[in-house]
Amino acid sequence: MRSRKALLFWYIILGLIVFLTLFSSVLAPFGPNEMSMDEVYLAPSGDHWLGTDHLGRDVLSRLLVGGKVTLTVASISVLLSLIIGIVYGGISGYFGGVIDAVMMRLLEALITIPSLIIILVLQAFTQGSMWHMALIIGLTGWLVTARIVRSEFIRLKDAEFVKMAKMFGTPIWKILFGHLLRNSIPAIFVITLFNFAGAIFMEVSLSFLGIGIPPAIPSWGNMLYYAQNDILIGAWWIALFPGIMIFMTILAINFIGEAWKNPTWRRLND
Amino acid sequence: MTVKWVGKRMVMGIIVLIIVSFLSFFIMQLAPGDPAAAFYGGNAQTLTAAEKERITRAYALDRPVAQQYVAWLGETVKGNLGTSYKEGRPVSEIIMERLPNTLLLVSVCLFFIIIGSIWLGTVAGMKAGSIWDKGLSTFSIATSSIPAFWLGMLFIYFFAVSLGILPSSGSSDIGGDGGLGDKIRHLIMPASVLILTHVGIYARFLQESIKKENSKYYVKVARANGVMERTIQMGILRNASIPYLNYIAMTIPSFFGGSIIVESLFAWSGLGQLTVKAVVTKDFPLLMGSIMVTGVIVVVSLLIIDLIMYAMDPKLRKGGIR
Repeated sequence: MRSRKALLFWYIILGLIVFLTLFSSVLAPFGPNEMSMDEVYLAPSGDHWLGTDHLGRDVLSRLLVGGKVTLTVASISVLLSLIIGIVYGGISGYFGGVIDAVMMRLLEALITIPSLIIILVLQAFTQGSMWHMALIIGLTGWLVTARIVRSEFIRLKDAEFVKMAKMFGTPIWKILFGHLLRNSIPAIFVITLFNFAGAIFMEVSLSFLGIGIPPAIPSWGNMLYYAQNDILIGAWWIALFPGIMIFMTILAINFIGEAWKNPTWRRLND
Repeated sequence: MTVKWVGKRMVMGIIVLIIVSFLSFFIMQLAPGDPAAAFYGGNAQTLTAAEKERITRAYALDRPVAQQYVAWLGETVKGNLGTSYKEGRPVSEIIMERLPNTLLLVSVCLFFIIIGSIWLGTVAGMKAGSIWDKGLSTFSIATSSIPAFWLGMLFIYFFAVSLGILPSSGSSDIGGDGGLGDKIRHLIMPASVLILTHVGIYARFLQESIKKENSKYYVKVARANGVMERTIQMGILRNASIPYLNYIAMTIPSFFGGSIIVESLFAWSGLGQLTVKAVVTKDFPLLMGSIMVTGVIVVVSLLIIDLIMYAMDPKLRKGGIR
């Protein structure tokens, strides 16, 4: 019971963050790129709740708009890696045999490469926009999804009901989508949640290194990129708040994902 | 048997390295624009025809990509990683300067992460229902949700800016004696950030696999027969450590990814910071070189973990599959 209340709390937190960022253009008290050279490095106050940065921009406004950017990039990339992961894992799991062996060896090799390195190379040599960033994170983030989908497909392929369906001559696409994929959804859902957290991590890390989303667009990662220098002169508020937002978002996703991962809990709530 | 098994793992490692180099090489070729101009970076407009000619010849930029790759691979195997575009020095020389720092940071962190997670995981796993047991999962989820570089920024604010007791960046004092004490002072913050953000997830994994072992039949039988608790626990730990090691092997690439970011934040002059620098300056040979060396480090670490697992798991020795 206690854990269900805690879970509700995390749902609310995540919902609140999504709501705030979704309506950021209405809620933000200032324009995210509105500069004011008379008001640089203002500590949090009544006018600027979360202070201002090195160009006198309102941190709260940038935080809200930046959240939209960060969460949009993460959502698109997760969607992309979900599709690739399902197709790759599905083919590997359903057909098995040599195809599976070859595809899995390739997957194992790819998992060994720190995906950050491949992303760094991609970012370095192809100039990117926000969409480009989402594409790159998506293209490198499907490995674990593929692995989960494969093992689910292998497990379900030999289940009684699938064998029955085959015996009755159900068309293959119906078996693939209606039986295998449909019954893999709980597992895919959990891994997608964790992937979402991973994608947020990736965006903020890359933007923090100065090679993510173009600096003109506010994002949580970009805000922290500039905060690196600001913190040395004691302007802690520029670094603190974007970090808290990232932390709370990922924390909420992780707690929700953990709850869904637990199969007994899942059964209770079906 | 052992030799054959080790050989197999090594071949796998080499295949991985070839895939890494192949991917990176071809991605770099996809770069829009003139590679000779890319070499010049911001000053591309001032590039004269003669200069361009020289660069193109020096880096074989006029030949087909596949040929360039084969040429590059041949040179790399011989130990020649080329010359940095920006610094004009051999890449291997630059990397060798950086390598000790990265190895120091990574090995110190892995040492404490493994010791710490085994300790925390064992305590929490053996005492089911205790505060340790419940606390660890929350601790692990919380610490793995913190972006490491942000935690690092908070550390810099507290320990370097406010308290002034630790240096905010670098791997040694400029003009300092470069002694051990100096190195350790610079190491504390980046290392503790990496350890804090990683120890929880590994401890939790071990905790769960200990709990799983603990409920198995053989443990109950041993307990019923009055086998000493200590002996039972050692047995459980031994069996639980195999999935734990496997988990470390699976996550070590992302650990190296994390160390790249932490190195950059603290300007720790290691391989990770070098890689990011090479990306920003589009220094092709330097980037390829640092990627390959990072790849080798990852592959070697995986091989070491594999060997430990091989020594601990009789099923592997008898030719079973992992």
